[in-house]
Amino acid sequence: MGSRSRVSSNIFSLRNVTILFLVGYFGIFVIYPIYKAFAGSLHDWNPLIDQYDFVGLANFKNVLTNQLFWSSISNTFIFAFFSVIFRIIIGLGLAILLYSKLARFKTFFRGMFYMPTITPLVAVSFVWMWLYNPQFGLINKVFHIDINWLKDSHWALPAIIIMTIWKDFGYATVIFLGGLMGLPEDVFEAADMDGASKWQRFVNITWPLLKPTTLFVTITSLISYLQAYVQILIMTEGGPGTSTYVISYLIFDEAFVKYNFGVASAMAIILFVIIGILTVIMFKITGESEGLA
Amino acid sequence: MKKKVLSALFSMLLVTSLAACSSGGDKASGGTKDENADKGLEVLGDTVTFDPNKLVNEGEPITIEYWTWGENDPTLKMAEAYEEIYPNVEIKEVIQPWDDFWTKLPLSLKGKNGPAVFNIHNSQHDLIMPYLEAYDIPVENLQADFNSVDPHIIDGNVYYTDSVINTGNIYYNKKLWEEAGLTDKDIPKTWEQFRGIAKKLTKTDGDKIVQAGFNYNGETYNALYQGMNYQKGELLFSKDGKVANYDNSVTIENTQFFVDLYEKDKVGSKDFGDDSTMSFGNGQTAMVYKWGWMVGELEAKYPDIEYGVFATPTPTEEVPFAYDRFNGESTPGINKNQTEEQRAIAQDFIRFCLANDEYSVTAGLTMASFPTKKSLADNPRILEDPVLSVIAPRVERLIWPGAFPSTIETSAKQTIEDILYNGKSVEVAVKEGQERMDSDMKNSDFTSLESSYQFFDEAK
Repeated sequence: MGSRSRVSSNIFSLRNVTILFLVGYFGIFVIYPIYKAFAGSLHDWNPLIDQYDFVGLANFKNVLTNQLFWSSISNTFIFAFFSVIFRIIIGLGLAILLYSKLARFKTFFRGMFYMPTITPLVAVSFVWMWLYNPQFGLINKVFHIDINWLKDSHWALPAIIIMTIWKDFGYATVIFLGGLMGLPEDVFEAADMDGASKWQRFVNITWPLLKPTTLFVTITSLISYLQAYVQILIMTEGGPGTSTYVISYLIFDEAFVKYNFGVASAMAIILFVIIGILTVIMFKITGESEGLA
Repeated sequence: MKKKVLSALFSMLLVTSLAACSSGGDKASGGTKDENADKGLEVLGDTVTFDPNKLVNEGEPITIEYWTWGENDPTLKMAEAYEEIYPNVEIKEVIQPWDDFWTKLPLSLKGKNGPAVFNIHNSQHDLIMPYLEAYDIPVENLQADFNSVDPHIIDGNVYYTDSVINTGNIYYNKKLWEEAGLTDKDIPKTWEQFRGIAKKLTKTDGDKIVQAGFNYNGETYNALYQGMNYQKGELLFSKDGKVANYDNSVTIENTQFFVDLYEKDKVGSKDFGDDSTMSFGNGQTAMVYKWGWMVGELEAKYPDIEYGVFATPTPTEEVPFAYDRFNGESTPGINKNQTEEQRAIAQDFIRFCLANDEYSVTAGLTMASFPTKKSLADNPRILEDPVLSVIAPRVERLIWPGAFPSTIETSAKQTIEDILYNGKSVEVAVKEGQERMDSDMKNSDFTSLESSYQFFDEAK
């Protein structure tokens, strides 16, 4: 009796319950959806009418011969590249400014910069659509220009990138600020004693020491931007023509507009692989430069 | 001790999470019992009739669900009327936003607890069809009372049909019309006349347009090129109904007409706002082509605009192959997976709606769409409505191609954007549009219903 109760108390120990909970959580919300996407990519699949016919690699063939898929990939990389670069530059620049002794009202500005980050993307997209409106938009009026931002194929993607950078730079600012606060003061004091200029301090001390933070911001931003679609859906619906189609919007379009879940799954798998490869490469590059690889 | 409390809490959390995942809603009703079969009410309807003087569900309380996406759904009003006749029946309304509706409904219909009755949109036909029970009304009775039944007959049964049909018209701003010195006599009948009127209604400040005579920015091109093609006898699909018929000389000619309106006649501009509805509502545009939903939009968002409606012009004053495309607002569907009791009430409720003129009149007036019920063709309430009175003379020559794949509209939207904003020639953009449609429809089993149009033989 005693040993049975010990066994049962072991089974329901906090550790076991926690493990069970985590395994259940990851199984249901992480592993199963990924498995389902893999399996679905090999099927002609519409879950809403229970259609699930095996088609082998036909969906992948369909995707890889689709011109819109490749232009979407290209747009996705352009979008992600510029969004990440400017997020880091602006985020780091403002973080350094806020960290310096020159800035006043630091708490206020920290809050102000972070505010767009916590504002829902849908709301921000609508506000920026008004700002970009060619008839009454504030941007054209303020800068005395005449651009149809979201309808001109040369400007539509840059317009969305600008909005995205504005919305997100606060996140990078806060993370970099955290990184700066964690830097050892004695190194800077030693540099000061050696007569290093501010630029030399930044290039030789601050920047190298912030590499892990930069890597973190880069990878999280990259993963997030490679999957971006909400602003595209709201602001341009992939237009004008197909000039702002990005891969996640194309996946959404295939799955929830055309109900081609199989093709959408194949695209999602390709995106998954691309993100995986890029992440590994980034870790590798940063690891090597820090002597970790 | 702390550990035990925490593990107990975790266990509870797990159990409640799992419980929350399981489905099941109690459909039992707490309503009253009905013991009065003779309601003393008249039998409704012409050929499809409804006799209210009976007990339903043997008078025992029952609750059924009705799912819809729209507050102005006429079925909601009918549900209230039905509940008044049968106090033992509760029709529980579940209103979901459009996007959620088409994900949640089919998933719900798979199980046994889905709604007994639900709103249908014909664009979702393939999605919903596997879950539908046929109407328990003879098809010939439906045909006797309603237009537009034929395209909805599947294997000798009707699962839903059109309550009203909707099509496009030109909406014009009366104040701007008068300011331009125009009267009712100036209402254009042909597209060339329309072009002249649009010029008169345009105001510029230097090169800049300050008032557009006609504005098609937004979604207008999709609907209007289809109607204009039909006017010239060009079908939207191949004769066998399987392939899109987009890249042809008529589409090119009509699309060029659109482009010329902006680029040659300068009665509007691609940069004159993104949305012609908003532009019309703000009083910046004098004329727009819109379907019936525009009435609700104007009432809700732009109540101060005084507008008139006239029939979409045609190439000549001769009667065309078809005046325009139409689309139907569907009658509700019945869930074949529900219980026998629920389905019996659902069937009775559908019969009540179809036999009751009020259902069709409400649908027509709230959605600015013409009732398919034949007996309402001369109904004063219908003909007094400014939009319905304009549709009435054209009803016979409106064509329905069936609920077609979304690519027909999304690809055409991309075509006009490629021409206006991306500088592509009309020919190249239309050709690419056709390629997109072909690619998207490659695995589709869609067949157009154009051949069921009564004047189909007059097509090109």
